[in-house]
Amino acid sequence: MIPFFAGLLLRAVVVLSGTALATFALLWHAPGDPALAIALARYNAIVPADVIDLVRIEAGIDAGFWPAFKAWIAPLLRGDLGQSSVTGRDVWPELVTAVSYTVPLALTALLIGLMLSLPLAFLATRRPGSWLDRGTVAIASIGVAIPAFWLGLLLILLFAVQLGWLPAMGARTTAHIILPALTLGLGVAASLTRILRSGILEARGQPFLPAFRRRGVAARDIGRDHIAPHAAIPFVTVFGLELAFLLEGIVVVEVIFARPGLASFLVGAIGARDFPKVQAVVLVTAIVFVVVNLLIDMIYRSLDPRIADPHA
Amino acid sequence: MLEVTQVSVRRGSAVTLRDVSLSLASGRTLAVVGESGAGKSTLINAILGLVPCAAGCVTWNGAPVRNCRPALVMQEPRNAFNPRMSLRRSVMEPVQAQGAEVELDRLERLCAGLEIAPGLLDRRPTEVSIGQAQRAGILRALIAAPPLVLFDEPLSALDAVTQKHTARLIAQMQQDEGFAALIVTHDLGYAAAFADDIAVLRAGRVEELTPARDFVEAPATAYGQRLRDAAFALGALERVA
Amino acid sequence: MRSVVFVTFGFAALAIFGPMISPYDPTQIDIPNRLSAPNAQAWLGTDALGRDILSRLLHGARWSLGLAFVISVVGLCIGTLVGLLAALGGKVTDWVVMRTTDTFLAFPELVAAVVIAGLLGAGTSSLIFALTVTSWMRYARVARAIGLSVKTRGYVVQARLVGLSPIAIARWHYLPSLLPSLTVVWTGMFARAILGISTLGFLGFGVQPPMPEWGTMLLDARIHMRSTPLQMIWPGLAVVICVLAINLSGDALRDALAEQDRQA
Repeated sequence: MIPFFAGLLLRAVVVLSGTALATFALLWHAPGDPALAIALARYNAIVPADVIDLVRIEAGIDAGFWPAFKAWIAPLLRGDLGQSSVTGRDVWPELVTAVSYTVPLALTALLIGLMLSLPLAFLATRRPGSWLDRGTVAIASIGVAIPAFWLGLLLILLFAVQLGWLPAMGARTTAHIILPALTLGLGVAASLTRILRSGILEARGQPFLPAFRRRGVAARDIGRDHIAPHAAIPFVTVFGLELAFLLEGIVVVEVIFARPGLASFLVGAIGARDFPKVQAVVLVTAIVFVVVNLLIDMIYRSLDPRIADPHA
Repeated sequence: MLEVTQVSVRRGSAVTLRDVSLSLASGRTLAVVGESGAGKSTLINAILGLVPCAAGCVTWNGAPVRNCRPALVMQEPRNAFNPRMSLRRSVMEPVQAQGAEVELDRLERLCAGLEIAPGLLDRRPTEVSIGQAQRAGILRALIAAPPLVLFDEPLSALDAVTQKHTARLIAQMQQDEGFAALIVTHDLGYAAAFADDIAVLRAGRVEELTPARDFVEAPATAYGQRLRDAAFALGALERVA
Repeated sequence: MRSVVFVTFGFAALAIFGPMISPYDPTQIDIPNRLSAPNAQAWLGTDALGRDILSRLLHGARWSLGLAFVISVVGLCIGTLVGLLAALGGKVTDWVVMRTTDTFLAFPELVAAVVIAGLLGAGTSSLIFALTVTSWMRYARVARAIGLSVKTRGYVVQARLVGLSPIAIARWHYLPSLLPSLTVVWTGMFARAILGISTLGFLGFGVQPPMPEWGTMLLDARIHMRSTPLQMIWPGLAVVICVLAINLSGDALRDALAEQDRQA
């Protein structure tokens, strides 16, 4: 068990290093003079060349690739995310603020998704092939095809513009979270329903189950002790996948609903060529992702010892 | 003439073949017998060059054995053929790989000798019986007229009746074509009946190398005796009257 | 498999012939008639600059679908080569290649595409680069798995033994096993590419105006949501229908393959 976990850990470290390198390479190769963009954003005026050079040195763009990479990664390893090259303020607190808007949105969306998909998948699989089952699959399939930005716009159109029930833009009140969370949550529900349903059906088909039934084990106990852990496995995978789905959806949703948050933070920073902010988001996201997947891999192993490599 | 000279094969830290030497002349049959895990398949892989030799060399008439393009008949015919290609295409592959044309009368002659019905080759491997597939495997091995043919448990996947039949066909083909045959098998009865010499492999070493006739009466080593007695007990070997 | 081919050809026909049947020039500005509701002249109405929406939709297919096709096929080629390299190249190559693949997979693909496209500057080439770089990995995983299993098959050993050239081995013995599964992956990636192009377009990072890409059309429409809400429906609907079509045919293909496997 230990060497297996050590292997996973090594893998995670390698992946994170690769991500850091790729991020830096991207920043390095971005066209245009970043110093110019930063100077423009900072001073809001066309600046003379020597000021741009000052900005260039200050932002550390001057040295070659590898020295710059070393200089770049050293503070990051210490946990120092640096200052915005545009505003000069520390990146970390602004990042935290942005996250504090995004996380509630993500969690609410996840909750909505679960509340919809669990009962739906359950009911659908009670009688596979029935109208309810097939209808559920149909709706879920359509749901996965609907892009988040379209759904968001439609919901705004319906609930905010036409009906005036719910607010659309910004994040002033708690009510402002409803439409964005609903947009995301419906998408999550659609894909979760599909996967849960096939996971339950597959777990039901496990070869050892009839033996339990013959021995007279109660149906409820079978469900709890034997079907649930097996159905849990794809569920766990899905959780990892849904995280990616959520992150991608959040980008779109925050833009549509003009919510402050991680995505707006990122998109704004990209536009202003504020590299410290961009890399902060990228690296923090990467770390969260890698850690979550690492945990998922470990949970996998403990749920089903047969699985050696969940990625295989 | 096949010469295997002091071949050793390593797999990780374990030594799977140790100092193996044997020789085989054209037209002769050598059976390599032994328990599971003794290294029989490794020997075949080493001769064919599919695994590297840590020591020793394998030659045919003095040149590296690869040059004579030895053929291989595998144990599982279903695994040995591409399920998506017709048998005919698979059988022709050895010739086409060399960029040559297939001599149709040779194909016909071999098919007749192996009792392969004319329409059989147009079927897919999954559409024919195991016995038919195995005979097609032999056909593929022989199509390019190699001087050396290796057989890895050629009868193990077949039922008893088909085994006898196929064994006889192999022997007949060898008479017709004149190739040297190295047959790996765990079936001592088959070895005794059809081989000229028997090599006993044990834990990667050649325990003994005896003419087949002599082996049945008097194996040279104690281990060889144990194998022979076990075969007697199972009825796989007939006592010499 | 037939439905996949059918859908692909349908898309191709739309992309190629759509512009020919479009009633107007999609970039033709006609301010007096801007923001009109669907009527006899413009079946779907006109946008903020008076351009005919239907024509823009039809021309847009070339961008939203055509680009998606290119991106997904390029990803397919790259990913398959990488996966086969890992499968056939020996243990060290395998480890290196797979860790590289993992690195690319370690990040949500769309976010990465946004960052890449954004930093490299808006435009079609950045879009293609960003989406291709973030999509080849899934093919690589599948190609590697299949490559590994085919590598040990008897008939591959036989082919190597008789001296069949590596290209011929790849063509006759690996490809037929790779194609079904890779096609299933491809349908999913094609759909993702369509969504990716329109999302990036919507964020302003993709195809630039006046090119009539469906995502950028939505961006335009959003500004006029209160006055002409209908404008928002059409581009999104186009995306949904196309994604749905390709997803359904992909599902059908996957089920058919699973059935085949079960019978074998």
